[in-house]
Amino acid sequence: MKAVRRLRPVILIILVNIIGFGLLYFYKKPYDNYILLAGLAAIFLIGLGYSVIKFAKLGDGYLFLIAGMLSSMGIIMLYRLDRDLGFKQIVWFAAGIMLFLVSCLLFRRFRIWERLVYCYPLASLLLFAVTLFFGRSIKGAKNWIIIGQFSIQPSEVIKILFVFFVAAFFKLYEGKFSEAEVFRIGKLAVRPVHVLMAVSFLHLGFMVIQQEWGTALMIFLVYFMLFYVFVNDRLYLIINAVLASAGGLAGVFLVNHIKIRVDTWLDPWKDIAGTGYQITQSLFAIGAGGFFGTGLGLGRPDFIPEVETDFIFSAICEEMGIFGGVAVVLLYFILTYRGIKIALSIKDQFTKVLAFGITLVFGFQAFVIVGGVIKLIPLSGVTLPFISYGGSSLVVSFIALGILQAVSAGPSGKGET
Amino acid sequence: MFEVISSLLKYIFITVIYLFIYAIIRMIYLDIRMTNAGRSSGSTDMPYLKLVNRRDDLDFKVEESYMLAGRLTIGRAQGNGITVADPFLSGKHAAFTCKDGVCTIEDLKSTNGILVNGSKLTEAPVALSDGDRIHIGQLDFLFVAGRRDKK
Repeated sequence: MKAVRRLRPVILIILVNIIGFGLLYFYKKPYDNYILLAGLAAIFLIGLGYSVIKFAKLGDGYLFLIAGMLSSMGIIMLYRLDRDLGFKQIVWFAAGIMLFLVSCLLFRRFRIWERLVYCYPLASLLLFAVTLFFGRSIKGAKNWIIIGQFSIQPSEVIKILFVFFVAAFFKLYEGKFSEAEVFRIGKLAVRPVHVLMAVSFLHLGFMVIQQEWGTALMIFLVYFMLFYVFVNDRLYLIINAVLASAGGLAGVFLVNHIKIRVDTWLDPWKDIAGTGYQITQSLFAIGAGGFFGTGLGLGRPDFIPEVETDFIFSAICEEMGIFGGVAVVLLYFILTYRGIKIALSIKDQFTKVLAFGITLVFGFQAFVIVGGVIKLIPLSGVTLPFISYGGSSLVVSFIALGILQAVSAGPSGKGET
Repeated sequence: MFEVISSLLKYIFITVIYLFIYAIIRMIYLDIRMTNAGRSSGSTDMPYLKLVNRRDDLDFKVEESYMLAGRLTIGRAQGNGITVADPFLSGKHAAFTCKDGVCTIEDLKSTNGILVNGSKLTEAPVALSDGDRIHIGQLDFLFVAGRRDKK
């Protein structure tokens, strides 16, 4: 009885997978046995991850379950859209879970993470440089590195490195953030806050050079939140907001591709066959779904361009209904809640900022893309964490979750007292 | 055929997802409720039991600490001094008695028994000292003697 009670959310995830994959098996003739196999693999992987967390006492039991539920919905949807993509996603999911456990253990095992302050921006810079020189453009943005058969999106890694940098930086100047001097130029003392701003805006600048406005917006939101929470300085908060708004406005007026995005956001119906096609198709799909959706495999989400990455939320809304869509949003809500709760319970500055930063990355990323596809904010191409198709995105999300998991387990070495 | 199955199963599918969300939100709700309840009891000279478990692992309501005074029974049934809906507790599981600064614990013929510092309790009451670990049902308590009897 004890076991049943404890496992209940896990059983529900398994049920979702059984229903989803069972349904997909009958979706198209000839019946494809690999789908059933894939379903079993998904169930096995989630069970494996969950039991490792439970038996190794790695802290919070819900983070992984929420991510597992989101991934399950993503994989089922991807299988329905395209079998090959679904299969690849399962492979990435397996890799993601392995790396989730590895990053969790590594983070607990080694204590050097907070001392590598300036290594993180350097690593980011290196990644930027590599993308800039060797990068390949896919869909307008030059943000892919191709190694052999794989294409990697470095911006996914950079956002986590950025959170690591901010956390280590706050730890470095803990308690003396407003007084300390990093270095002097003549009579001007350069305070930590200036360095933080410089590095952050450097990241934003590079993102803009790579035409990744979505990721830039997300990094700014995360940075701004961290600044608001951990730096008690209203003047600099306003300066940050003004600088970023100026940058954003300049983008809208000077960069054609952003101008089009904003125009289609304001009125997608004007050019419905051209620039507004994607977003209007997305809105039609969401509308067609109604409350409970058309049912898996009965809608036509394939009308939406890029439905398997950026627009997967519309596909979920069409086939699982607005209730399914709201469920996804709710899952991100509780994920964010757990993250903030973990951050609140920690005393150490580095892990606190890190946990909060990673939580913000998940939360804001979901907000930016869900807001984009329902036309709440201008569309910008970021992935929906854990759900969208994409190896880099899924794996990096799981690594970040692993770190959050490690943080939730408390100080390394011994379990909680 | 597929259309019929799919349009029926979508309701079940969504229901299951919401049950999952409900299960997690319920834990969160219990967690927040108990955080607020724990805040009202300040520091005290009285002996008390401190919960060691992570509360969000438990599926039922339990408080962070329980003050001990006089005779107090713990169990699953209503009418105990401390009522916890832990399925591993007996209706009337154990009794704490505090008199003149000395607290004892007594097993009230419970099904699953009590462990104090890892050793199982017999029928006779046992005196508790500061820092003792008490395991009842799924619960782990730390006994903290009040300031009064520490001298």
